[in-house]
Amino acid sequence: MRGPKMTTLRLEGIAKDFSDGAQMRRVLFPVTTEFEPGELTVLAGPSGSGKTTLLSIIGLVLRPSEGRMFFGDKEITSLSENEAARMRLQRYGFVFQQPMLIEGLSVLENTLLAFAVQGRRPPKGARQKAVKILNRLGLGESLHMQPRLLSGGMKQRASIARALIKDPAILLCDEPTSALDAESGQTVMRLLKRIAIEEGRVVVVVSHDARVFPYADRLVKIENGQIVSDTREQTQTEEVSQS
Amino acid sequence: MRTLTAFRMVVHDRSSTAGALLGVVAIVFLVGQQLSLLFGLLNYMSVLVDHSNADVWVMSGNIRNADAGNLISGRYIDRIVGLPEVKWAEPVLIGSGLFRTADGSYESVRVIGTRRPRLSLGPWQFFKADERALLDLESVTVDKLDLAKLGNPVLNQVTEIGHRRVRVRAITEGARGFQGTIVFASIDKVKEIARTPPGRYSAILVRLNRAPDSRIMARLRAALPKCSVYTTKELSYLTKKYYIANTGIGSSFGFSTVIAVLIGVVIISLTMYTSVLGRARDFAVMRAIGGRRRDIAVVVACEALIIAGVGVFVGFLMLVTLLNFTRGSAIPSFLPLFVSPALAIGAILVSFIGSSIALRVALKADPASVFH
Ligand SMILES: Nc1ncnc2c1ncn2[C@@H]1O[C@H](COP(=O)(O)OP(=O)(O)OP(=O)(O)O)[C@@H](O)[C@H]1O
Ligand SMILES: [Mg+2]
Repeated sequence: MRGPKMTTLRLEGIAKDFSDGAQMRRVLFPVTTEFEPGELTVLAGPSGSGKTTLLSIIGLVLRPSEGRMFFGDKEITSLSENEAARMRLQRYGFVFQQPMLIEGLSVLENTLLAFAVQGRRPPKGARQKAVKILNRLGLGESLHMQPRLLSGGMKQRASIARALIKDPAILLCDEPTSALDAESGQTVMRLLKRIAIEEGRVVVVVSHDARVFPYADRLVKIENGQIVSDTREQTQTEEVSQS
Repeated sequence: MRTLTAFRMVVHDRSSTAGALLGVVAIVFLVGQQLSLLFGLLNYMSVLVDHSNADVWVMSGNIRNADAGNLISGRYIDRIVGLPEVKWAEPVLIGSGLFRTADGSYESVRVIGTRRPRLSLGPWQFFKADERALLDLESVTVDKLDLAKLGNPVLNQVTEIGHRRVRVRAITEGARGFQGTIVFASIDKVKEIARTPPGRYSAILVRLNRAPDSRIMARLRAALPKCSVYTTKELSYLTKKYYIANTGIGSSFGFSTVIAVLIGVVIISLTMYTSVLGRARDFAVMRAIGGRRRDIAVVVACEALIIAGVGVFVGFLMLVTLLNFTRGSAIPSFLPLFVSPALAIGAILVSFIGSSIALRVALKADPASVFH
């Protein structure tokens, strides 16, 4: 295993209420669980069930109404806004439903921005590393292209490169395949799977796309803000890595 | 990288960049042009005082500007030169008369009479011939800018001012006053033209042995209790202040400058605002991948700064072109040295003010929104 950060992410009674105008509505009921490194967790469930809400809380972009979250021994629910930003910068990688690359910056610059968004220069070797990752993702030819010139699949791979360049301990993906055709979707999922296993990261993928489920080491199903099933699927791992 | 991002965004969002640039350019150019006109006019107001080559002006009591004073007695000269600090004192006589042009029509002119041989308050810059021309009693000068108005007189042409025979012997440059056409002549000729009583003058110009200080000024004032005694600088300031306050020039320039700035701010605000709105998702992404509010602010501020910088450059380029074009024309234009940096800094500040709404929108970008 290459990933240096064999750290577990632990949720203790994480819940979320949203006010819809007049009254508060609980969209996520207390969740207590752990996400292990080296494991690809798929978070599945019908629309509106609270998947994105949970992922946003895990990703430190949304504060829970209740509960605590730990990264290793460190409590991360009580971080200040700037500390949370720093945590996201250093520990997290995000892949969104839409690639969300910044127009005007080239693919390479978009990737490097993940290092430098707080203004510090990218560390030495960051550029080579970015080139290497982009090459590995089949974007070697497109380093200096504008995002709008890329296909949807290429953009999504570029956004994965942006998420990976910092060697994040936690990789969070919200419907990474929904904007892609079947084949690109498979490629992206294979890639995420490999990253989880080979590099020992916590990988959480939100999806209601059944084609994603075979890649899951663990399948968590949410309905109406509650976890209704949580299964580890050992056997499928081998099948997938052979394909 | 935040600067680079800002730069890339500015380059990429061409239409909004062009719009915001237009705002900055409008401010720099319009305000600069207004200011150059204002300072040009200010120069006109005190042109004679500023070029008088004297340290102190003595005029009749209670004057409010250099152009309106009663005649004073020439005997004051003796009192003035009696002071040890005084190097010389010279009378000048300023009158007005009608200049007969070649086609027989008349133009009103101010005739500045200066005593030979020192010719203090004489012309300071010549287009044709030189100050020796004024050593002759009937000589007058006309200014290059007034040639057409005066029917294009040629050198040595004989004409009349106030029914007195004069001969145009030199053409000056830059002798243009706020009150119109300036003609230089010998003091005796002006006496004839203006029919002033003998021994009375418009002002006495004094040159000191050293720079005027309050002690010398106090002595001069004590010696001349019925006169206004001002240093050249004081009189210049007094005159400008008088005209600005009493002609509405000040408020009219202030008004148009404020309008120009307002229009610029509105253009900058609107375009920056729409540009940032279009980038809201990008700012949310930047927040999500670890950017703080501060980092977003830096990016927006850099965008504003880049646009302001380029806008100031382009604006000044246009302004300089205009000033070059109007130099030596009848349009007053003058930009003192301190104005350019002040204008540049002002334009940059205004750009920041204009981008403040955009900044507020950008700072609202919610990192959680990237998951929707
Ligand atoms: N900012 C918010 N304010 C109020 N209600 C919200 C907010 N965000 C989400 N919700 C509500 O929370 C519930 C869960 O939303 P969430 O986005 O987590 O669902 P999801 O499982 O991701 O659905 P989908 O599969 O359609 O993306 C929904 O009923 C939604 O209306
Ligand atoms: Mg969702």
